[in-house]
Amino acid sequence: MKTYDCVPGLEFDEKDDLEQSPAWFLDGTHSVPPWTPMFGWFWVNFCRHGMQYGAETLHLPTTKGWDWRFKNGGGYLTILLVDSDEEKRERETKFRQAIRPFLEDYDGLWSGFVKEMLGRYEKIKTVDGEDVSNIELLANFEYGIDTCRRMWEIHMYMMYGTYMPYVLFEQLCKHLLGIDDTHPDFHRLMSGFDNESFRVDRGLWEYSKKLRDTGLDTVVANVAPAEWEAKLQGDERGREFLKEFRVFIDTKAGWRMERMAEINVPTWSEDLSQAFDKMAIYLKKGGEFDLDGKRRRLEQERKEAEKEVLGRISPEQQGWFSVLLKIAQNSSRFSEEHDHYLDLYTHAVLRKTCLDLGRRFARGGAIEKTDDIFFLMPDEVRRAGINPGKFNLKGVVARRRAEWAEWEKAGNPPIILRKDFGLADAMEFMIKSLDPIALKVVVGKLPEARPELKADLYGTCGSPGMAEGPARVIFKEEDLASVRDGDILVSVSTSPAWTPIFGMIKGVVVDRGGSLSHAAIVGREYGIPVVMNVFEGTAKIKSGQRIRIDANLGTVFILDK
Amino acid sequence: MEKWLFWFDEIDKDSNELVGKKCANLGEMSRLGMRVPYGFAISVKGFEQFMNLSGLAQGVGDHIRAQRENLRQVEVCQAVSRKVQDLIESTPVPESMRKEISTYYHALCDKAGRKDLAVAVRSSGVVSMPGQMDTYLNIIGEEAVIEHIKRVWSSSYTVRAMTCRIEQEMAVEWAPIGVAVMMLVDAKSAGVVLTVLPTTGDATKVVIEGNWGLGESVVGGEITPDSFIVNKEDLTVVDRKVSTKQGMVRREASGTTYVKVPKELQEEPCLDDNEIQEITKTAINVEKHFGVPQDMEWVVDKDLPFPENIFWVQARPARFTKVERAEDIDYIIDLMVRIFD
Repeated sequence: MKTYDCVPGLEFDEKDDLEQSPAWFLDGTHSVPPWTPMFGWFWVNFCRHGMQYGAETLHLPTTKGWDWRFKNGGGYLTILLVDSDEEKRERETKFRQAIRPFLEDYDGLWSGFVKEMLGRYEKIKTVDGEDVSNIELLANFEYGIDTCRRMWEIHMYMMYGTYMPYVLFEQLCKHLLGIDDTHPDFHRLMSGFDNESFRVDRGLWEYSKKLRDTGLDTVVANVAPAEWEAKLQGDERGREFLKEFRVFIDTKAGWRMERMAEINVPTWSEDLSQAFDKMAIYLKKGGEFDLDGKRRRLEQERKEAEKEVLGRISPEQQGWFSVLLKIAQNSSRFSEEHDHYLDLYTHAVLRKTCLDLGRRFARGGAIEKTDDIFFLMPDEVRRAGINPGKFNLKGVVARRRAEWAEWEKAGNPPIILRKDFGLADAMEFMIKSLDPIALKVVVGKLPEARPELKADLYGTCGSPGMAEGPARVIFKEEDLASVRDGDILVSVSTSPAWTPIFGMIKGVVVDRGGSLSHAAIVGREYGIPVVMNVFEGTAKIKSGQRIRIDANLGTVFILDK
Repeated sequence: MEKWLFWFDEIDKDSNELVGKKCANLGEMSRLGMRVPYGFAISVKGFEQFMNLSGLAQGVGDHIRAQRENLRQVEVCQAVSRKVQDLIESTPVPESMRKEISTYYHALCDKAGRKDLAVAVRSSGVVSMPGQMDTYLNIIGEEAVIEHIKRVWSSSYTVRAMTCRIEQEMAVEWAPIGVAVMMLVDAKSAGVVLTVLPTTGDATKVVIEGNWGLGESVVGGEITPDSFIVNKEDLTVVDRKVSTKQGMVRREASGTTYVKVPKELQEEPCLDDNEIQEITKTAINVEKHFGVPQDMEWVVDKDLPFPENIFWVQARPARFTKVERAEDIDYIIDLMVRIFD
């Protein structure tokens, strides 16, 4: 049987696609290591749709969102620029109206979307994978596709609409106050907010405390988190604890995977040991939930910074400035909450709809084992959806699995450029879009090398402060367990699964990231220094080396060479 | 036993920790010379003493601590709430405390010059939790007063109140609340006044809303009240909306009831211009005193002559959702568009 494209219509084509756009960037944050075909299909189709939907709904004057391609498990992106000045002006007029809801009632807008999505998730979750017919399972899968599409619409409409005022605020800070978004004062204005992601972390901490308070911590002491469940089952209070913990996981925290942008790894609900990993960190650390105390301090500092900053603005300008400040502050909360309510949750329910069908497929003989389903794409799922016993997709799965292994081995190039186009041209192309997501999340401010400081690496400030300690270079979520108290984390970038270790580490160095990237936001809330955009941190620094970082100056010193 | 009952004029705004916000506020209001109905406050210590003397502190505390980790689950919280409230309501107030309350109640009747005075019994939390605790109106006689004081205490264990404490990371076992016991004004009409327009944030005007009867119909938002917008500068009424008021809350022999407004009063404004001006003047003064926009509750007595007929029962900082000013938003959009040039 012919093996079709994984993402029909959106596979990268060297000739045509470089003709369309001179520069294609690999989404290193989400598609390294390479995606499974099924997940790649979802992401490339709908992230692409969502970005164009968002840019178009808001009529952003200079960007029409991003285009995406799939190439060997990697997501490649480029920006769709608005070319003519005339079109730009037309869009500007409509943009003025379209952005208003974000300025008038931000909370109402966001909570409405959260409610809509939670309603969809509930509908998918209530379908009993064992009990219902193949037809109903297929319908749930189709509803999952629709839900993913809707998720990306909301995701990108909200993200563009939230980050646009942020970009303005940041520019005005530069203009009126002489501070940019890597300045410590700027960070003080943006820190000290609670969000749903942090509340989940606090929940985990509370359960770890419960283990300690009830003496159950001795039951799991020196036991790998993977064995905790079995150990706790062997103890009466342990069973009681598990029962309660299960409810917390199933209703509040469990609809997420360690890797946010994939569906081939178990959710916390399926595999509790992932939650136990985090709790082991908290147990090891002991004491109170550090975020609470820090948040109160940061909140206090923020209020002082707000007062101080407003004092430097002339009285007649203070009205709109404080309105804008409040809107810009939404960005950090949104940035964390959207991961929780949108990406993580949608991907977890998609996984459910896939696994439900995968079990039927494996039972019917269409595929060998349940998770082979991730090596099909939706059209192939539809082929065997109602009568899995009548089709054989094993050949397709085998070929795709082999390819996937190849992709991982070979790795994907970080950028694909037209012949006459250099890296600097590509950056300029990105910046010309004035696309707030490209600027604040992906590209960020480029560091300046300052030879007089004699640092080994130069970056920008994601969160202010200084720290010194052993470096811990981490590439994958699975390796987070090796992080020790007092380490300085070095990585390409970070995502929500990494948040709990922020309570243990002294600082962070990331290769890439803007002021609204995960590492910067969480670093600020935990009050630890973050140096971003050092580009070669993971290449130059080795685990165990002592390093000193000064985020205010954006410097990294390697002390043991 | 330290003093735990206070007349309103014995307390002021600094008595917050002692008797809770509402009582402290009533105290401060009477010190400001506002006409506040006669009444007394039961301190937070009074509640604590009741819990300790009756042995409830231990029982209630044990019960809540046993379920502390599960209280976020609504069913658990409901069960605990029911249990604790039953426990409190079935436990009598110790004799020594009854005696003191009863002495104060009778003194209150003397002050008001009325036997079997009808009073309002209201909760007065140290920490503000809007709408979380109960108010009882038209309570008559010492037995009923004592019973309703206990109900206010018990209302700090409703699901809403406990959930609110959990969210705010306060102790769940016990809430610092005081109680206000005050004479009930025989209301012709009642309502609220805000010294800032809630929809625009315009602080040059006040808005008065009112209805016939007791203020609960206005505060509770069940009816469309009359609404008057008054210029602070010259006290002119710049906007007057007299609604068709079909229902109102009226005192009954014991308690209150929702009744139909007589036909001939439905289309009539519930305040005359003198009353509107008097209310506005006082509201402006109070706002000046506290330095922030106020949300105040007024009652106009049926029988007393103007201006002695206007009573104040509440003054607190206004909590208004400030809808951002349209011109600020326009300006921000202008600036945002400039980014693209």
